[in-house]
Amino acid sequence: MTARLAYVGRRILLTIPVLIATSIFVFLLIRLVPGDPVQTMLGIRATPDNVATVRAQLGLDKPLPEQYWTWITGVLHGDLGQDFISHEPITSLLGVSLPITLELTVLAMLLAVLVGVPLGVLAAVKGRWTRRISGGFVVAAISIPEFWLGIMLVLLFTGVLHLLPPNGWVPITQDVGLNITYMILPVLALALGQTAYLLRTTRAAMLGTAGEPYVAFLHAKGLRTRTVIYLHMLRNASGPIVTVAGIQFGVLLGGAIVVENLFALPGVGRMVVGAISNRNYVVVQGGVLVIATLFILVNLLTDIVHGLLDPRVEEAVAR
Amino acid sequence: MIALEPVTVTSRRRRIPMPRWGGREGMAGWIILGVLVLVALLAPVLAPHSTEAIDGSRIFGAPDWSHPFGSDDLGRDVFSRVLYAYRASLSIAIGSVLLAMAVGIPIGLIAGYAGGWTDLVLMRAVDLLLAFPALLLAISLIAILGPGGLVALLAIAIIYVPIMARVVRSSVLVVRNQPYVLGARARGASHWAIVRGHVLPNAIGPALVQASVLMAFAIIIEAALSFLGLGAQPPTPELGLMLAEGNNYLTQAPWVEIFPGLAIALSVLAFNLIGDGLRRSFDPGQLAR
Repeated sequence: MTARLAYVGRRILLTIPVLIATSIFVFLLIRLVPGDPVQTMLGIRATPDNVATVRAQLGLDKPLPEQYWTWITGVLHGDLGQDFISHEPITSLLGVSLPITLELTVLAMLLAVLVGVPLGVLAAVKGRWTRRISGGFVVAAISIPEFWLGIMLVLLFTGVLHLLPPNGWVPITQDVGLNITYMILPVLALALGQTAYLLRTTRAAMLGTAGEPYVAFLHAKGLRTRTVIYLHMLRNASGPIVTVAGIQFGVLLGGAIVVENLFALPGVGRMVVGAISNRNYVVVQGGVLVIATLFILVNLLTDIVHGLLDPRVEEAVAR
Repeated sequence: MIALEPVTVTSRRRRIPMPRWGGREGMAGWIILGVLVLVALLAPVLAPHSTEAIDGSRIFGAPDWSHPFGSDDLGRDVFSRVLYAYRASLSIAIGSVLLAMAVGIPIGLIAGYAGGWTDLVLMRAVDLLLAFPALLLAISLIAILGPGGLVALLAIAIIYVPIMARVVRSSVLVVRNQPYVLGARARGASHWAIVRGHVLPNAIGPALVQASVLMAFAIIIEAALSFLGLGAQPPTPELGLMLAEGNNYLTQAPWVEIFPGLAIALSVLAFNLIGDGLRRSFDPGQLAR
């Protein structure tokens, strides 16, 4: 148990420098813009007075380390700055957009796990044809970009079948059913590729355990095949599956940026892309910081879960 | 497992273990890619119409013999635009991966071969870049540098450098302790000679597999960036951009959306098949599965 705690503790400590470095990168985002970022943000018609005001507001007239310190203390106190167009605090923008992105990505991941893992098990234990079909499905699914899949889903479900709305969004607090209706196509578009990755990983991991002596032993002991597969082999194969699911969550967060823009879901990705075209750098900064932090935390969680599922991992780290 | 066949010391030219075609799938991938590259190169000859010729009489024109993919909202020929768009797609995909290899492979080689502090410092730096979701990193870089095809290439290359470095490093770690490397060192060969003659040829396999998979992703990322308006700018014929432009008229003229998307998927498929094939030929153990 103490080894386990030490493993979790070490893993959390290792995350801190990554978070700090990420924050420095995000901090530099505005400062690296060629020329005068404030002038670029405000446009050529901005008076020198305006420029000076905004520059002072952003603290851009102070030395860099001092700027970083002011900014990061603000961030840690939940102050990500202000949208200079709408004058709303970034945190309240994120309060609306982050739950949407989370709903989209978590639902997509859930769907991918619920479909991909059982199919992967099936592809590993059934005959040659299941393997061939699943192999073909995987290659096809990972070759289709999620935004094009989304467009084709709209064409089918809206254009031909008239079943679902093409895009838009209703807050979940207003109408749960409608909210889900608007989420179906984005989630499907986002989940297909992930399903394929999880299927492939599950299949490979299951096949990796198939030759282990304990499997033969359990069969010899007279356990039902189903018990051996789902209780023992899947448990032993879960390490790679969890790891890949964690890595793929990053891909999912990236994919969500595109899918949100396609389906007009007001999530963080749409916020960031919209802000880039408006040169609204403070909003870009806030959105990038939140998504990157989320990704780092998911990776941390993945490693911890992997370690808990497979004690050999902590031992390897402790050695 | 990596193919670890030792390079014969007697031969003058060090042979990089070249993969075979990688079975039926790999072969299919190479053939599709070959055709697509030809199509891109010969676009000026093959394209039946100009990519920018606006034809008022053919706005949203349906596919026919002279316009196999139909026409878009300005009456431009979608087929001709797809052919030209392959030029941008393929060159950005291949260019970004080559650039990432040129930077990432030396980093991985040095880190893996030198070990110790050099390894630690290089890999920490690399891990920091990996701490970002790929598309988000690309978008952040574009937020700084402004949109454009070349910026997209650069952004994708920057995302890929850490991946390349990691892959090469991990295979170098295996190769470094092989008897033939120790032997070469005992023989008094310089580090440079060992890295060039023994470590690189034996460690490059996984990097090549990775390269083809990364090219597949590069095509998707590049198209996604253009789709978001952050890559190539109109009126450039670019696949992602064409999808973005046609999306408002989806039910009116679905061909404007169907064919460029199929074109993206086909090229991604080619690289994925090649990647699978390479993986198999470098790792015969997987064949049994």
